[in-house]
This record gives sequence, C-alpha cells and structure tokens, in this order.
Amino acid sequence: MNEATGWLLDVYADEEDGIVLWLLTEDDRRLRLRMDFDVTFYATGDFGLLRQAWTYLKERNVKLERAARRDLFLGERDVLAVTTSNPSHLPKIFADLSRQFPSLDYCDADIPLSLRFIAQTDAHLLGRCRVKLDGERVRSIESLDSPWEIDPAPIPLRILTLSPDENPAVRKPRRLRVQYRQKEYSLPLEPARAFLISLKSDLKRFDPDLILTDYGDTWLFPQLKIWSQESGIDVNPNRDEGKRVLTRRADSYFAYGQVIYRGAQAHLFGRWHIDRCNAMSFGEYGLEGAMEQARVTGLGVQEMARKSPGAGITAMQMLTALRSGVMVPVQKQQVEGRKTLAELIRADRSGLIYQPIIGVHGNVAQIDFSSMYPAIMVKHNISPETVGRVAEGVSRPVGINGAPEGLVPKTLRPLLEKRLRLKNILADLNPRDCRVEILKSRAAALKWLLVVCFGYLGYKNARFGKIESHEAVTAMSRELMLQAKEIGEDMGFTILHMYIDCLFVQQEGFHRPSDFTPLMNAIEEKTGIPIALEGVFKWVVFPASKRDGRVPVPNQYFGAFKDGTIKYRGIELRRRDTTMWVRRIQLAALEILAMANTPEEIAAYVPNVSVHVERARRDLRAGRVPLEELIVRQKLSRVLDGYKSPSPAARAATQLKAMGREITPGQSVEFLFTRGGSGVHAWELGEALDPGRLDTKRYFKLLDRAIRTVLDPCKRSCVPERLL
Amino acid sequence: MGRTLITITQLLNEIEANLSAFRRTLRRSDQYVFDGLLASARRHIAAIGQAESLLPFESALLAMLLEQAKEIIVLQQELDELKKRYE
Repeated sequence: MNEATGWLLDVYADEEDGIVLWLLTEDDRRLRLRMDFDVTFYATGDFGLLRQAWTYLKERNVKLERAARRDLFLGERDVLAVTTSNPSHLPKIFADLSRQFPSLDYCDADIPLSLRFIAQTDAHLLGRCRVKLDGERVRSIESLDSPWEIDPAPIPLRILTLSPDENPAVRKPRRLRVQYRQKEYSLPLEPARAFLISLKSDLKRFDPDLILTDYGDTWLFPQLKIWSQESGIDVNPNRDEGKRVLTRRADSYFAYGQVIYRGAQAHLFGRWHIDRCNAMSFGEYGLEGAMEQARVTGLGVQEMARKSPGAGITAMQMLTALRSGVMVPVQKQQVEGRKTLAELIRADRSGLIYQPIIGVHGNVAQIDFSSMYPAIMVKHNISPETVGRVAEGVSRPVGINGAPEGLVPKTLRPLLEKRLRLKNILADLNPRDCRVEILKSRAAALKWLLVVCFGYLGYKNARFGKIESHEAVTAMSRELMLQAKEIGEDMGFTILHMYIDCLFVQQEGFHRPSDFTPLMNAIEEKTGIPIALEGVFKWVVFPASKRDGRVPVPNQYFGAFKDGTIKYRGIELRRRDTTMWVRRIQLAALEILAMANTPEEIAAYVPNVSVHVERARRDLRAGRVPLEELIVRQKLSRVLDGYKSPSPAARAATQLKAMGREITPGQSVEFLFTRGGSGVHAWELGEALDPGRLDTKRYFKLLDRAIRTVLDPCKRSCVPERLL
Repeated sequence: MGRTLITITQLLNEIEANLSAFRRTLRRSDQYVFDGLLASARRHIAAIGQAESLLPFESALLAMLLEQAKEIIVLQQELDELKKRYE
C-alpha cells in the first residue's frame, strides 16, 4: 500500500469512480485519486407515505432503512434513510422521489459533496492530509492540519493568468495575454486554429492548478467551446480529461435591498478557474481571501469566489449540523411565531442608531465593539433553536445561557476567534511587513462571513434561520450600546454619536489613545464583548442633512486621525455611482483639510480647497479631464420595459440594446452625461465621444454637491452644544 | 431584512406627509418654526424607537418638548451670564 502527503485541491462526484480527489503532493505531483463514498438522505413525514416511498425506491440501486435522526427543532424523528454508493446518482434519486411524494419532508438531500466529505473524513479542502492508497484508490485519509490554523502551510499553486486585451463587452479582443510565473506574452486570437493549438500546448506545458482569468466565465470559456467546435481542435481546460467544463447560467436576484447580477460561470475539474471579473468580492480580498473562505466553509475555491458570503455561512452551518448528527432540511420549516401588535413593535427593530451632534468636533475617539453581532450570538448562545424560550427574570427572548450550545454559536465560535487572533497579529505587525496584505485579505474574508451570519438568522430562506433569533441579537445589541453610553456618561464623556456597534466619545483634555483605555476596559467588563479603539480623530465632522440644516445624518461622517489618516463614511467618495473625477477632487479636498490639527484650524484651509476645486473646474472646461474619469456607473434596477421615466442608466442601456447588447437587472451600466438627445452616452458603445458634447454643467453640479458635503460643515466651527 | 414594521425615520416622514396640508396653510415664517419642531423630533429617533410605544407620535411630541425645554434652559443660562456680567 502506498502513501502520499499533500494538499487537497478538489473533491467531486464521478459517475464511474464514486468520488474523485485531487491531491497536490509535497513532491509537486498532482494525483487523481478515487474513493468509495456512500451518501445518505432522509425522508420523513406521514408513515403511510413513507411506506409507499419505500416501495417506490425498492427497485433502485439504493440501500433503504428505517432510522431515528435528530431534527434541530423537533428532536428525534423517525425517518426513511436512502443511501447510495454513487454520490452522482443522488440528485436524480432525490428529484424523482420528491416529485412523486411532494408532501414528505426531506433532509440532507442537497448538501454539497465537499461538506459530506469533510464531515466524514475531517480532511478539509486546501488542508494538508496523508492518504493511504491502493493504486489510485484511497483506503484511508488522515488530516494533518485544521482550517482554524492561523498560519497554514502555503500551497505551492501553479497559477496561469489569461486576460484579453479588450473588455469583450465593449470591443472584440484581438489578443490573449498569458502570464505564468515570470513569463508573459500574448497570443493572437486569429486564426482561431493556431490560437487553440498554442493555448492547448500552454495548458499542457504549465499544467496550472489555477487558471485566473478576466472574462473567463462570460467570454473566454464559452468562446473556447465555440472555436473548438468550429475548428475541430478540442481544447479541454480541465485537468480531469474525462470531464467537460461545467457551465452555470447567468442570473439576477434580489438581496440586501438591491438587484444583483451574477454572470454565467465556468467551473473546472481537477484545477480551479476564477474569473476576476465575475468573482463576488475578489476586488476586496483577492485569491488569499477566497482561499481562506474555502478553507473554513468547506466549499470549493471556485464556488466560494463566486458565491456570496451567505452561501459560505450556510455551508458552515450544514457542516456543524452534519458533525452534530442534526439533519439539514431541504426546505426551511420554521416560520415566525405569532405576536401581538405590541410584541411586534417591541421585537421588530434594528440596532441602535443615534443622531449625531452636528458640526466639527475635536479630539474624538471612535471605539468599536469587535464583531459585535456574532460575539453576541456566541456569548449569549443565540441560535434559532435556543431563542423563544424566555428565561426566568429576563423580559426579552434571548438565548438561553447554560443550555447546550446552539448550532449557530457553535458554528461561529471558531470563526470569531480566528478573526480576532488575525486582527491581533496584524495590530502587532509593522505595516511594511510582507505578511500584512495577506493577513488583511484573510481577515476581511472572515469578516464578511461574520457580517452576513447575523442577516441569515432572519433571512426567510435560511435553513437554520428564525426571525426571533435575529430580533434577539438586535435587542441585545441595543441594550449593550445603552450600557456603553451610560458608562461613558458616568465617566464624564460626551457621547457624540452611536451607530450600531461603535461610539464616538469626547472629553475635555482627553486626546491620547491611552486616555480612553479606562472607558474601554469598563465597557468590556460590563458587556463581556471585546471593544477596540479605532482611533482618535484630531477632528471629525458630522454633517447636517442637505434638506434641513437642523437635522443630523446618522450614517455620514468624515475626519482626520492624529496620524493624518482620513476616514470617511456615507459621503460621495464611498458611493459607487460617483465619478472618478468627483471622487479624486473630494479626496484631495479632504487631504487638504486633514492638514488642520484642530477644528479651529480648518477654516484656514478652506481657501486652499476652493483653489483646488476651481482648477479642477478649469480642467474640465478645457477638456483636460480624461473621459474615463467622468464615467458614471449605475445599476439597472429593473427590465427596460419596467421604467415609466427611464433613469440615465436605463437610457444608456437602451442605447446598448439598439446595438444588440442586452443588459439585465442588477448589471451596471457605464455612461457619460451629454448635452442634447437622451442626455447620456453609453460607454460601451465603443464609438468615441466628441468631448464638446459633454454636459459639463451636470458634472459641475455633481462636483459642487460633493464639495459642499465637505466644506459646508467646516466653514464655521461647531458651537459646542451646551449640555445640561 | 426581516423587518415588518416601518422604521421611526419612515414614520416621521409619513407624519410629515400627512401634515402637509396643515403646514401649507401656515404663514411662511411659521412654516420654518414648524419644520424646526419636526427636525427636533428627528434628533431623538433612537429614543422614540426605544420607547416601544404603540403611538410613537406621542414620543415624538415629547422629543419636541425636550428640545424646547433645552432651548429655554440654555437661554436662561445665557441670560444669567449676561446679568452677572452687567451687575
């Protein structure tokens, strides 16, 4: 019997071989291994129907047995267990059975294979493991590390990067840039035959573990298929030669109050493909972040790079359920409990959002609860199955402390601890340390999983969601924020603002970070949730509403820390639909103001900002601003026919439609504001725009608005509110 | 996500819309004061929410009163300071 040690790259079902594992060995080999792997799903419900289901399945090649399995909410249930030794057959068996018996409840029927594999073997994706082999067949597998390790051994991946010379949505690409380690060259796309031969040979020569592309999902792989068919030269980008590229269709869906578009996808077998232009948060945390998410969630890198963090959290909950012997329902079964109107008013509320004191404030500390909501879930054991029971002496439905740890806290605890450990390491590192960027990406990837875990408690389709647990978290967060406020006020601080999980506090004579340590210690001791100092602002601005100068805006602020770093939230700079030109000038304005060390000094820098803005206006008037900087990017929120008065984005999309390019809801449209006609010019039209047609007045208006946001509150220093 | 009830901000917007005929009938100078009253309620959205009242407009009125009372005390303090200065 042979043995091999290495990193687990991929796991998938195979019609012939049960499941296939790809191992990247320590001696740089890529092994395709096979493993016998039984998978089971459960049906439960009316006994008569279960008996009929048994009879229906008897003729199939499956193992049937009556068993007792735990449901998270209902406890032990009698179930019909259906086991197949070929995981690739499970979807069809389940689809047939559920079509025939739709009133039965089904569990564990749609769990990704990688999760089943991890739950059974403890060997996780991207983790190191040792396999004992009988030829290509895996006899046993032993995990050599844990996904919770802070410093896992890096995987020596071979990465091939492919990117066209043009955005295919705008212009027809002519060349494909190829990059592998230090080599970089480009292949002409025509003639297609020569291109395919070259690409095929490159794939064979480099044998990459990861093909990183631009527009691979939406252009390169679909196009490769067409060219292959036309030329007769078969280019199969999979490492597993028996497999074809797995394609998934594009779709638009509604989430977090907006329509989101997800392009078509091309998944590979035996190696990964990530399209940087179609990966959900790739821009934010890159490959390192996607790999970190894959490591902790148990979903493959290709999946995790394209899916929302919510899918990752669901996968983690499934894994916890599998390991705890809890069934995973296919359909959510928990609905909101009945409430009176008074109870609904009490429960259906968000986190605490204060109205800040308008104006410019000096020496302000921003202190944040670290991962507040997940920390509340873990500390107070808030999980769908633990809430709803009101403990003695507690007036609100919160998690039951002392009860067995709930599924959600059990899932989140290691994730939360890992992120805090990463953050602590980052805090101690020199910012120039080469590890900083990688650790930041990994921490950001974990942060997103933690951010969505709260939303999923109340998400209507979440398997383990229940609105009462969602409400319990916000109720607890409001209580903790009020406790923090009271502690701050008892210690003589003015609470300028509170926003969900952070506080802005100020006290005469306090300006060093250490001045705020006693406050943070007191809050942490009282609430039991870690709190950290984001920084001390030398000045911070809470602007007033543009509509009424007497009304504060809770989600907007900007300011400069003691070290000169600028922080801004909610202003034009943070908005995706703000043009690069406006952003650049608003940022420059903030940088000029950041030279002021006190609120009183700010007024002296306002004239410098005005000079800068005037220069920018002259540049635009003289045509010295590149058109790229003037592109406005807006999302299409509905189909074109659905607009009564089309937005600028809809008008630009109509122009694209006329030239045969379809834009679906959730997709962004780029355009320039122009004079006359429809008032816009779609950027992807390709034809050059005469700069004389630019609607400069419109751009000046956008700029003025952004500059007013920054300057209006700074023109007169805040008159401190006289608190009684 | 998961919210059935409207937020206090939305509620105040609705109240403002419902009172638009009332506001329209006021003199321009009174309209400014009226807007100030609503603005002062908006400074206490968090507290109105925390009151968990079936009739949140009651809490909004209380917030307006609070701001008025604050204003009076601040003016009183300023008056006292001025008096001290000239005595």
